[in-house]
Amino acid sequence: MSTESGATGVKRRDFLKILGVTTAATAATGCSTEHVRKLIPYVANPDNTVPGVSNYFASTCRECATSCGILVETRDGRAIKIEGNPNTALNRGALCAQGQAALQGLYNPDRFRQPMARKNGQLVAITWDEALATLATKLGEVRSKGQASSAVFINQHEAGSFPAFLDSWLGDYGMPAHISYDADAPASAIAANTAAYGVAWPELDFDAASLIVSFGADFLDGWGPTVPLQLAWADARAKIENAPRAIYIGARRSLTGLNADSWIACRPGSELAIIQFLRGNGTAAAAAAAADVSAATLDGLKAEITSAKRSLLLAGGNGADSTQVALEVAEYNKALGNVGITIKPASPFGVYQRLDVTAAVYNVADRMNAGAVPVLFVRGANPVHTLPKSVKFVEGLAKVSFKVSFTNVPDETTEFADLILPDHHSLESWGDAEPTVNTLHLQQPAMEPVFQSRATADVLIEVAKKDTALASKYAVKDYRSWLIGRFPGGQSAHTVALATGVAAASSARAAARTAGDLGRKPVAGFGGTGDFHLVINPSPTLGTGSGANKPWLLELPDPVSKIAWQSWVEMHPMALKKLGLMRGDLVTIETAAGKTTLPVYNYLGIRPDTIAVSLGLGHKSQSGKTFNTDGDRKVPFHTGYGRYAAGVGINAVDLVSGDTDALSGGIAYSTMKAKVTKTGENIDLITTEGSARQHSRGIGQASTLAALIAARTQKEGGHGASVGGAATTQHDGDAAQGAAEGHDTGPKEWGGNEHEFVGGASTEFRKGLKSPVANDAQGDLGDQNSKDMQMYSEKHWSGMAKRRWAMTVDLSRCTGCSACVTACYAENNIPTVGASWQGRALSPTVWDTRPGANILKGREMAWIRLERYFEGAADSENIFDPGFDTRFVPMMCQHCGNAPCEPVCPVYATYHSPDGLNVQVYNRCVGTRYCSNNCPYKVRYYNWFGYGEPGRRQYAFPEPMHMQLNPDVTVRGKGVMEKCTFCVQRIREAETRADLEHRPLQADEFTTACAQACPSKAITFGDAADPAWTVAKQVEDERAYHVFEVLNTYTAVVYLKKINHMVEA
Amino acid sequence: MAQRKKWAAIPGFFLVAAVAAGLSAYSGATAREADAAQAPAAGNALAYPKFSGLSGKNLDGVRNNTEAMALPKIKGDSGLKLDPAKAPWAYSGASSPQNYSPEQPVKFPHPQHVQKLGMNCTYCHYSAGKAQDPGLPSVATCMGCHNLVATGKPEIKKLAAYYKKGQPVPWQRMHKVPEYVHFPHSRHSNAGVTCQTCHGEIQKMTQVFQYSSLNMGWCVNCHIERKARYDCSTCHY
Repeated sequence: MSTESGATGVKRRDFLKILGVTTAATAATGCSTEHVRKLIPYVANPDNTVPGVSNYFASTCRECATSCGILVETRDGRAIKIEGNPNTALNRGALCAQGQAALQGLYNPDRFRQPMARKNGQLVAITWDEALATLATKLGEVRSKGQASSAVFINQHEAGSFPAFLDSWLGDYGMPAHISYDADAPASAIAANTAAYGVAWPELDFDAASLIVSFGADFLDGWGPTVPLQLAWADARAKIENAPRAIYIGARRSLTGLNADSWIACRPGSELAIIQFLRGNGTAAAAAAAADVSAATLDGLKAEITSAKRSLLLAGGNGADSTQVALEVAEYNKALGNVGITIKPASPFGVYQRLDVTAAVYNVADRMNAGAVPVLFVRGANPVHTLPKSVKFVEGLAKVSFKVSFTNVPDETTEFADLILPDHHSLESWGDAEPTVNTLHLQQPAMEPVFQSRATADVLIEVAKKDTALASKYAVKDYRSWLIGRFPGGQSAHTVALATGVAAASSARAAARTAGDLGRKPVAGFGGTGDFHLVINPSPTLGTGSGANKPWLLELPDPVSKIAWQSWVEMHPMALKKLGLMRGDLVTIETAAGKTTLPVYNYLGIRPDTIAVSLGLGHKSQSGKTFNTDGDRKVPFHTGYGRYAAGVGINAVDLVSGDTDALSGGIAYSTMKAKVTKTGENIDLITTEGSARQHSRGIGQASTLAALIAARTQKEGGHGASVGGAATTQHDGDAAQGAAEGHDTGPKEWGGNEHEFVGGASTEFRKGLKSPVANDAQGDLGDQNSKDMQMYSEKHWSGMAKRRWAMTVDLSRCTGCSACVTACYAENNIPTVGASWQGRALSPTVWDTRPGANILKGREMAWIRLERYFEGAADSENIFDPGFDTRFVPMMCQHCGNAPCEPVCPVYATYHSPDGLNVQVYNRCVGTRYCSNNCPYKVRYYNWFGYGEPGRRQYAFPEPMHMQLNPDVTVRGKGVMEKCTFCVQRIREAETRADLEHRPLQADEFTTACAQACPSKAITFGDAADPAWTVAKQVEDERAYHVFEVLNTYTAVVYLKKINHMVEA
Repeated sequence: MAQRKKWAAIPGFFLVAAVAAGLSAYSGATAREADAAQAPAAGNALAYPKFSGLSGKNLDGVRNNTEAMALPKIKGDSGLKLDPAKAPWAYSGASSPQNYSPEQPVKFPHPQHVQKLGMNCTYCHYSAGKAQDPGLPSVATCMGCHNLVATGKPEIKKLAAYYKKGQPVPWQRMHKVPEYVHFPHSRHSNAGVTCQTCHGEIQKMTQVFQYSSLNMGWCVNCHIERKARYDCSTCHY
């Protein structure tokens, strides 16, 4: 070993000594303190709680209408994590990102902390007694003046008993039934389903289909019940051999489109021509001219559909004639004999029953503007944000003399309220939902209310009790008692059912509502002037805006564009070239309805004559005021949907004319042409992707079924390829052709196995499970009888090396939805870094207050990120090629057996644990960041600021968000490197539990947070050294590969190749 | 030659360190939320409650009466010896200090309950065998007996007053490992580690003091002696 190095000849140890002296000199300024505080016992022990052990409450997710079953993990009385409820057939334990993020709705620092009333134009905090008295008085006034029949109650749509309860309460006061409004509802599909099948949402059986054709039905982007659809899709695609092929038809390739095997990039609004051609009305040439695709493509499509064994045609979209398209598609499904097989109206989802069409809210706006609404109640819904300007909802609000809001966050609509009666969050309240036939999902509070809120249903009961005429009818104590009273079997049965969260139900279903005559003027085609068709789509992560007050969702990059904390406009590179634009250039988009400025994102998956903008952002306060929600503590709330949402992005609804699709009564978002003008400015896109291309690195690999079968044959033929070798033969394919056909384009020049050694790549596939560190130092290659045999040896007395924790990720299942990312944030106390106050100092007095400023510097903290790579369409600036392939790769610490990060750490803060983890020891870490520089996967994240330290400007958990923190995971301090731990806290917890029960750890007993949440079931975690675990079988799969295998990193994460289903040429 | 050059580097490092400290001072966000009530109280590492114990006879008795200690038989030196030279207490790394013995709001005598009445540790510390957290008796648990027993004693009157007000007893915490250490009590008690191994002869302590240093060397020694795994991720995650 060399004793001197470098020009100055400073020895390594001396360097550290010198560093030690200087560090000691500076330590006084940055010393952290360790407080020994009080130890507070309970006054009386609550039942069934053990300190430090989680309790799980089965409940129902209310983040969208789907009503998935959830398990809320609570520790010492605080909800800390939401997981899907494995007892439900609906979501089978999976949960999407929005569902995970419900916790940040619960602990949102901007929630109303107590009721408020407008006094002299200002919202001031009042007590509940005052609030209830005010409401009771007002209701009495309205009734005595005979205005009750004109009152309006707009409720955020939810499935379950509450809507019926609310209607009966309103009826008792002589008020009309409420309007159940859901801006996120797929209006065209619901209307068409209702007309064609008699149910709002039939079960869609992807598994029974051999061909799936989607006319803009974005079933992986939040169209319909997301998690059930994604589960069904992933299960069908995971069959590999008999998996359905998917074709996406639309002007923009959404997340669903990117997951489809083929994309027919039709002109927006031409779907009707295509379906009519498919049904035999019109020629291929005429349809092709309308759709701007080749007649051969449409002929091919028709041939595929008619020859498919069993097809499933879906239609979504939000254009002017989307419902008509959906109706035609439904008729075609009937003609093809799909109904009852791939489309099952007999087992419908119940979540859209009782939903009112958006046009009903338009109608309310008209009545308000006519001065015909004396009192307006709003609960949860945010029409001011979600309705187009032309509806004049804001203007109408000014003419309503009394506005009551039950919403618990300061959104745009609530800002106008005269009385705010904050509702409990769904995790604090009782309820139920009937998502599928005869299945009831129960909702129960997982914890005591965080603030002084009250469940709206309880408030309604309280108020009714004050009314002499109604008091006898509302004799129940509260809404919970009312629910139990209706529950078959009563209290005892309800208590039993709560344990699983699921019960059988046989309630009568409310009829689905149709548009009736509420629709406004029907429109056809794309109106206005401009060179581009404007397509507006709900955000897969933020919906139409309800997610925007949760930093987890804002920080979660859009699955398609990988942009966070920002709005953008998608344009094809050809369009960019034509207009002389670059990525990030600010352009003005002008439609007949409005105008906005957005940065350009160059996207392959959009037609060159089309631009696309996502909904969900652009929350803005009308008054711009900040109020105190709590008189004593001076905690400000931020109007405009809270501190996180305010000022982020633009609201794409402002570009919408406001016309509705007359057949569905839903907003026709994509009906406008737009002018795009260059402003000459360029801003940075806040994106987490380094490159959209793999540059032949083979990170996300894919293959075709034919290639897979060929590899099998070759292997059986005895050509000597190992299991792993067979799966990697794709590397030899022609790269250009491979891209076009969905073949893998792996690293050609990196192949070969010249350097073989024990546990090497070609001799044993489960190589990540072998650690060369261990082999080399003390394991297989070491002297088994040596006294130096240490902890990596399986024979070591501590038995530390008996296990090899490993993970597989099935890319055939992964859709890129990013639920795993949010689950990881929730489990591992990962700070979000993009809020406007979390930026760095540009000078001692000037702060970078751009939202996402840290992400621009590459300082995001996601331990697992969803990489999205495009293959093919190489010359996108000159040729529009819809035949590109997309690879979604969840990328987390690969837990290398031969980790590049480990030897470069000067303080041994990262090392390979005997059970196969690449461990980061926070208390050893001094923040040199050498490990991050040396990591080929770029999965190490550095705490540039004190995100976890209260009092710091960049503190990521403002009160009460810190209540969500997982006590099993260290909150990292400033200057510390962190990364995926394979949820080591879950491993240790499972080991401890097994130890406690005096039994060995059972196979698949527990899993990581990402694997648990995955709505595609793409991630499998476990002990690969024990063949009983599923992961041990999965790593031997013929599709398995390691990322950057040639670097000899011996990763413990094994990816299974995506299989593309292409038409045989 | 090399030697001289080496030490010449020191001023350079100081410069770097000074710049780093400066940067840290301003980018590290001195700006606090407007409401000072939320900000943590500024403190230093040694700002523990005022020390007032370790002078009683009982404690000396514990120290001297070593043969009476039912210490588990552990081979070698596990750091289990209490070093009087360290008294009254010494700061040990980032953990709570050895020999620390704050006065409690209610002077709870362990000997009375454990030795005289023969109560098991887990009667009060009810989750020591089943959870990470050993559990602390609720005020109601104390009052279960003290509704009737020794109600006239001044300490019990204090306890009853807390209970009457519906308030918990604000015990002073002693044993504390840093946040980045995970110490599951159940794992240890199930492996046959007695309470006394770490906490000393607590049944004899009229006023409890921290018997062990709780520093990492002390942990690791015991892990090695007992053939438990001892790599970093066993406790640090």
